[in-house]
Amino acid sequence: MKEASPLAHSVFEVILWLFILASVSIMAYQLYRNTTLGNSLQESLDELIQTQQITPQLALQVLLQFDKAINMALANRVRNRVNFRGSLNTYRFCDNVWTFVLNDVEFREVTDLVKVDKVKIVACDGKSESTQNKNDK
Amino acid sequence: MASSANSNPVPKLYKSVIEDVINEVRELFLDEGVDEQVLLELKTLWENKLLQSKAVEGFHTEEQAALQAAQQQQQQQQQQQQQQQQQQQQQQVQQLVQQVHQVQQVTQPAQVQQVILPPQQQQQQQQAPQQQVIVQDSKMLQHMSATGMSAAATAATLALPTGVTPYQQLITSQGQILQVVRAPNGAQYIIQPQQQIVLQQQMQPGSVQAPVIQQVCPVRQVLAPMQGGLSQQGVIIQPQQIVLAPGNKVQGNPQLMQAAALAQQPGQAATAQVQQVQQVQQVQGPAAPQVPAQAQQPPMILQADGAGDTSSEEDEDEEEEYDEDEEEEKDKDGGEDGQVEEEPLNSGDDVSDEEDQELFDTENVVVCQYDKIHRSKNKWKFHLKDGIMNLNGRDYVFSKAIGDAEW
Repeated sequence: MKEASPLAHSVFEVILWLFILASVSIMAYQLYRNTTLGNSLQESLDELIQTQQITPQLALQVLLQFDKAINMALANRVRNRVNFRGSLNTYRFCDNVWTFVLNDVEFREVTDLVKVDKVKIVACDGKSESTQNKNDK
Repeated sequence: MASSANSNPVPKLYKSVIEDVINEVRELFLDEGVDEQVLLELKTLWENKLLQSKAVEGFHTEEQAALQAAQQQQQQQQQQQQQQQQQQQQQQVQQLVQQVHQVQQVTQPAQVQQVILPPQQQQQQQQAPQQQVIVQDSKMLQHMSATGMSAAATAATLALPTGVTPYQQLITSQGQILQVVRAPNGAQYIIQPQQQIVLQQQMQPGSVQAPVIQQVCPVRQVLAPMQGGLSQQGVIIQPQQIVLAPGNKVQGNPQLMQAAALAQQPGQAATAQVQQVQQVQQVQGPAAPQVPAQAQQPPMILQADGAGDTSSEEDEDEEEEYDEDEEEEKDKDGGEDGQVEEEPLNSGDDVSDEEDQELFDTENVVVCQYDKIHRSKNKWKFHLKDGIMNLNGRDYVFSKAIGDAEW
């Protein structure tokens, strides 16, 4: 067989990626990429890619680093509590991800109150952070 | 008490995250052979985008304040421009009305704003440009021009309930004399009752003096403010009396009498006959009394859509059927952009989330992790942690969130 089968190529790539991932000590949820902070980072990286100042692989690395940083920051640097109440419109549990849509919700913090007509809550499992891609809206 | 600074951990959190990320990837950048400059550029881009999103308070105080001020000014300017445009449109309408008055030597009360309606059927050329202009102003007017209702019909239907006396003055008005008042929305008609509505129709100004038909159509119903269009029901007010008091110049026209007789019949019967009269009118020429026909046309003109407004020759039944549909669609259109074209059929039945109407046009999202989700019957309890929220365009964070909801 002179030509490697496509499967072999993909296997090689899989091994390569596993190697890369193994170099990362902690895999964190990619959950927070679709936030203001995460989206602005992605957009900035896209601009640099378009001007060919960085490679897509590098951008991916940056995002992975962002995942780690934001997860750690939220866990360690934030210490406030919020309460909310509303009416549940829809709920979904799939791949260990809860997605809720609530209506007429009030978010209460000690300092202030925020009311919204509709809110979508995406929640990953907080008990175990595994290598999952939770990159939904 | 810098309450906002102390209680809002978001800017500090974001800044710390940015710093962490940049520092961590610096090594990666160097490994890739990417210049440090690019890294700084990344940081700058990132921070600027955060600033522009206005989701974070006090991120960079001075820059953000300036940016917010500039954006607010832009928004205010846009709002002012919109208001000015509306005002200008109203002024234009008024100017047109005044011009019409001057040309037509109207002796009616000055408050009357003439709506010159039907382009195709009317002989009056002056009305056409005015109609177009008026049409441009409001959605209703657009419909009016499209439908080609005659002014006299509108006036007849809008006849006032107060005082029914034949008004013998010759009013060389080209069309009907209606009082069309703009609602605050700028696209509605409020037809207020007047003492008299004298409808005159002339063949053409300065040409043959068409028979002048003075009709006073007392109408009990006052047209309510139209939202998105006059419904035929509202406009097809039963003209209880149509007094034909032909002026000096009236030429005996048996068909006119027929029209008048027909017009006297109340309600929808009149409208049907008005249409017939209209046809007769068209056959005979401009002299035909268009008042009864016009009585139908105003509603047609004001219709937002519907097939019934394009032709005045349709049967009465068809128009009746269109009433309900048009009302629904008009209500719907009034609430929307008020396009002349039909909205998707039955789009009012759609159950869709009105996200576009939110002030900030953002979907409020909470991204977090769950500790425990509990449900009892239809009572749900949420125990969440480590979340980032974007509510009403602003960012919030929490380490714990507890919520209740009923499904």
